[in-house]
Amino acid sequence: MTTAPARSAAVAPDATARRRRLRPGQVALAVALPLLAIALWQVATWVFAPREWILPSPAAVAQAGWEARERLWFHAQWTALIAVVGLVLAIAIGSALAYAIARSRVAWLAVYPWVIVSQVIPLVALAPLLVLWFPPFAAILVLAVLMSIFPVVVAGVDGLRGTDRDLVRAARGLGASESWTWNHVRVPAAMPRLFTGIRLAAVFVVSGAVVGELVASERGLGALTRLTAGQFETAVTFAAVVLLGLIGLALFGLVVLAERITLPWTRRATRRTR
Amino acid sequence: MPAKGVDVPHGHDIRVSDVRLALGDDPPVPVLDGVDLVARAGEATAIIGPSGCGKSTLLDVLAGLVAPDAGTVDTGGEVALMPQGDALMPWLTLRDNVSMGARLAGVPAHEAAARADAAIARLGLTGFADHYPHALSGGMRQRAALARTVLAGRPTWLLDEPFGALDALTRAEMHHVLRDLRAQEGPTILLVTHDVAEAVALCDRIVVAGPRPMRIVDDMRVDAAAPHAMRDSVLDALRTAGAIT
Repeated sequence: MTTAPARSAAVAPDATARRRRLRPGQVALAVALPLLAIALWQVATWVFAPREWILPSPAAVAQAGWEARERLWFHAQWTALIAVVGLVLAIAIGSALAYAIARSRVAWLAVYPWVIVSQVIPLVALAPLLVLWFPPFAAILVLAVLMSIFPVVVAGVDGLRGTDRDLVRAARGLGASESWTWNHVRVPAAMPRLFTGIRLAAVFVVSGAVVGELVASERGLGALTRLTAGQFETAVTFAAVVLLGLIGLALFGLVVLAERITLPWTRRATRRTR
Repeated sequence: MPAKGVDVPHGHDIRVSDVRLALGDDPPVPVLDGVDLVARAGEATAIIGPSGCGKSTLLDVLAGLVAPDAGTVDTGGEVALMPQGDALMPWLTLRDNVSMGARLAGVPAHEAAARADAAIARLGLTGFADHYPHALSGGMRQRAALARTVLAGRPTWLLDEPFGALDALTRAEMHHVLRDLRAQEGPTILLVTHDVAEAVALCDRIVVAGPRPMRIVDDMRVDAAAPHAMRDSVLDALRTAGAIT
């Protein structure tokens, strides 16, 4: 067969990298804004001089955090462990539920409403019951999973049911069975949306772990905030809260990294256009 | 792909008789209203009709994706459907997309990849086998989609507005590619298009579909030597059917 060579070349990697690179001004602004907020906080504590157990200054928080670093590290490991295990469970169970709900009308009717109901009930109200039913670690884990599974299920169901009709037609039109189409077309097509749900879950799972630790544990940053707030060690409480934020940020970053590694084909599609 | 390594069976007649179909439940909307159509083996037949008249649905019926409410459909064997646009899987490389047709035909993965590489080379896409579709131009993606359809090894190709989204230059290039493939594989082709010139350039016959619910209102043999007269005939048929004013 004699056809002309392709006229258009693929997008040059160098060009795409140049477009993605942040300008120095953008980096400076991204760093300066939070620093400005911290500076304002520091100035406010100088000007209004609140009692330290009500509102410590950033400097006092940093100092208290450094002095309590071993205690913070001990509790942070526990919270991080709960968050990571809870996120893995939420992804595994949530993805399986999403697949079942999207594929089976019965599962849609029988399971989906309960997934929604589970989010209507405040977790704080459920926590004492879970503590009665499970050992502390399991109870906290259940809370973390309950808090984070919802976005995974909803995003997964939306992704699986919202597959581009032409992709499904292309596969079925070449003789693919329905099962093949589900596993080789709908599932990979749903992955970007599923990851959106997982990114939300990575943040919610930390909240779930903290709720559990507040109610049912002597370990973890949630428990530490309860103890230190009760003893007016407010600066340590702040330091624990900062650490919680960092754990959430790290989990979110890990999910984004996993998405970039496992879905390289989404990079250009999701890039902002000018 | 073409000729070498792919054993494409010869085409069969497509016979559609009084096919009726309504879609939706509340209430069902008639889409196909007694469609009669014969596409001869080895010929390329264009279906031209107004937007939304049910042409794509008819292809779905022929591909076995939708069962008609009434009437009979005989494609004489398995068909390969190429949807609108390229419909390449964004998460697969060009090679994996092209080999998908062969893999679905039961060809072992290693052999399917080899056939895909051969097809990629013959379609002028050498060097792009490991690229994802988003990194390719519209024409390159369209070539890959055609290759995928051919590698399925089916005797009948159903092409649903395959070149509708391409610019004029790329479309002319794709016409050339399709003509080559047709000459080498000898399939029966049913081509849905809005473009009379495209139908005249690529097909042996043109059937004209009326507005929704779809019926075939005219059937004419292409006279490639008189494209303007063909266009006028098609427009007259559409006007008579009330599809255009």
